[in-house]
Amino acid sequence: MSFGRSSAVYIHQQVLGSTTNQAAEISSVTVHPVALFSILDHYLRRKDEQARVIGTLLGTVSDSGEVEVRSSFAVPHSESEQQVAIDGDHHRAMYELHHRINPKEVVIGWYSTGSNLNANSALIQNLYSQETAPLRAVHLAINTGLEESMGGAGVEAYISSPVGVTPKPENCVFVPVPIELRFRETEKSGLDLLASASSAAAGPGVTQPISDLEALEQSIKSVTEMLDRVLAYVRSVLAGEVQGDPAVGRYLLDTFAASTDDLEKGGFSASLQDTLMVSYLANLVRSQAEVSSRLALAATT
Amino acid sequence: MATMAAAIAASLPTVQAASTPAVPTRETLPASWNKNVDAEAEIPITTVQIDGLVTTKIIKHSLDTGSSAHGLILGLDLDGVLEISNCFPLPNQPSDEDEKSVKSVVRYQSQMLRSLNEVGSVDSVVGFYQSARLGAFFKQSLVEAQAIHQEKLRHGGVVIVHDTTTASQGNTSFRAFRLTRPFVEAYRRHNFSSASLVHQRLTFSNILEEIPVKIRVNPLLNSVLGTLTESHRSPLPDVLPSEATTSAIPPTYSTLNIGSVGLTRNLEQLIEAVDNYKLEESNLAYLSRQIAREKLKADQYLTRRREENAARVTQGLAPLPEENVHRLFKIPPEPSRLESMLSLGQIDGLAKSLASASSSGLVTMYAAKAGSM
Repeated sequence: MSFGRSSAVYIHQQVLGSTTNQAAEISSVTVHPVALFSILDHYLRRKDEQARVIGTLLGTVSDSGEVEVRSSFAVPHSESEQQVAIDGDHHRAMYELHHRINPKEVVIGWYSTGSNLNANSALIQNLYSQETAPLRAVHLAINTGLEESMGGAGVEAYISSPVGVTPKPENCVFVPVPIELRFRETEKSGLDLLASASSAAAGPGVTQPISDLEALEQSIKSVTEMLDRVLAYVRSVLAGEVQGDPAVGRYLLDTFAASTDDLEKGGFSASLQDTLMVSYLANLVRSQAEVSSRLALAATT
Repeated sequence: MATMAAAIAASLPTVQAASTPAVPTRETLPASWNKNVDAEAEIPITTVQIDGLVTTKIIKHSLDTGSSAHGLILGLDLDGVLEISNCFPLPNQPSDEDEKSVKSVVRYQSQMLRSLNEVGSVDSVVGFYQSARLGAFFKQSLVEAQAIHQEKLRHGGVVIVHDTTTASQGNTSFRAFRLTRPFVEAYRRHNFSSASLVHQRLTFSNILEEIPVKIRVNPLLNSVLGTLTESHRSPLPDVLPSEATTSAIPPTYSTLNIGSVGLTRNLEQLIEAVDNYKLEESNLAYLSRQIAREKLKADQYLTRRREENAARVTQGLAPLPEENVHRLFKIPPEPSRLESMLSLGQIDGLAKSLASASSSGLVTMYAAKAGSM
């Protein structure tokens, strides 16, 4: 997925004024997977006649101008050539509800699906900018990749600056901002689980949580596969069948320079004994707990 | 936590209201029957299917609030599969459990459900989720909230338990549970005396029954994830191996990490749980000793009175009444063993995760050693 194509500056009615340097306030945008997935879910649940869906982005802004989009919620709206209407009550109610759970997350902008920026977008942008003042609202344009004319799936982030001698709400320049997907290391496993769904045996799109040992087995298998591939490559280079790539050679040297010699110095057996002891203890505790619960039943009979 | 349970109970729709939207046979039935016919409620739930959105939401909420994140899950049941398609977090309870906070939680929930309905999302509650650490999810609050759900929701509702510890070690776990029938019977009668436990054959291992979990990713999300995990070659020449290819979701091998970081913490928690259990057991023992003492006193009084009566009969006098013995000696009611049962379950859960952590630790150690042999 392309994050942040540096194109598509939409200008309505006006000639391009010099992009004002106020834009420096917001330097980059990061998106949490939850926000992205909620938007996709909202898009799936849209009504037939809706061309696109919009909603509010919540998140945090750091002092250095990094915006972190942490969650999002849907806002009902209707738009036509002439007018655009947004359910402001719904937006406020949902924001208050979210605020109770996570007081740190504030309104930072809005999203819409489909990457077509138009006059309505400018109006909505103006509306959200009033909420996020003094910062300018961030607009996320999500291309779901379902419409062929739009190209592949992607997410773009924009901020707006006013144009023209007399700024009007419907005139603005959308300035692209760099964007990336960010998640915590501990959330990675959850994403891996979802990503494994496409190749799962249970059927397309369905997967099952696996036990620790199964996860370990999969990791080891994939490492072994990679080692086999590298080995095959190295052998064919040595046999002179393939011209060796010096860059690949350097990478291999870097990667395999790590040694496991430390394991030899008694550390392994000591650690092994500890782990075995813990394992024994855990099983002992479990059987004790089981016996104890049975004894509670037997005590009165 | 009792407040949370009460709040959930107050805000839940009645079974009737929750069940009507799920009737698939609506077209073939007269409109007036819709309220009375619910074919889906007859089919027992065999699988829980969680949407990808729900799993990410639960993971985020669990990480944001620490260990005790809880919220409601929304979805529908169809042909024995409970499809969970959305969820929302509940605010953490303040320590003082007053009427006002219960009311505000109830208002929060109904408002949230109404708002979700407005944007075309599912709005029928089918259970709740709870995050736990190190497999220790046997908490009284969980059991209480679930017992209330069992009464209110169709199929009794399910609880999804997410373990934050295994997630941080590289393997996300989601498990679905519901209460077993014997436990619900005992809970309904508020009777956890040992006689009742023996009668129902209740131990910690059959309080909850597990339902198999599937995780579903809708095709749109699937394709987006596909593009996200795609790796691109870095445009820069001669970069470090770790940066040579980039992708929005890079592959990780955190399960291969050597080192037993979690083990110490797990052991500490285990000791704490055993201490709790010990305390609870000594309370129970104290109470049962007291009961035995009072019973003995009552028996002695009775035998004395009988002897006296026998003597009076031989003397030709009317015997004294025997019934007032219960008024004279207050025999305390038999203590509830629920708490001790749950703490045993807690110990078992901790020990189980300890065993699994140590076994995968062994495998990683031997895997690392295999290279140098």
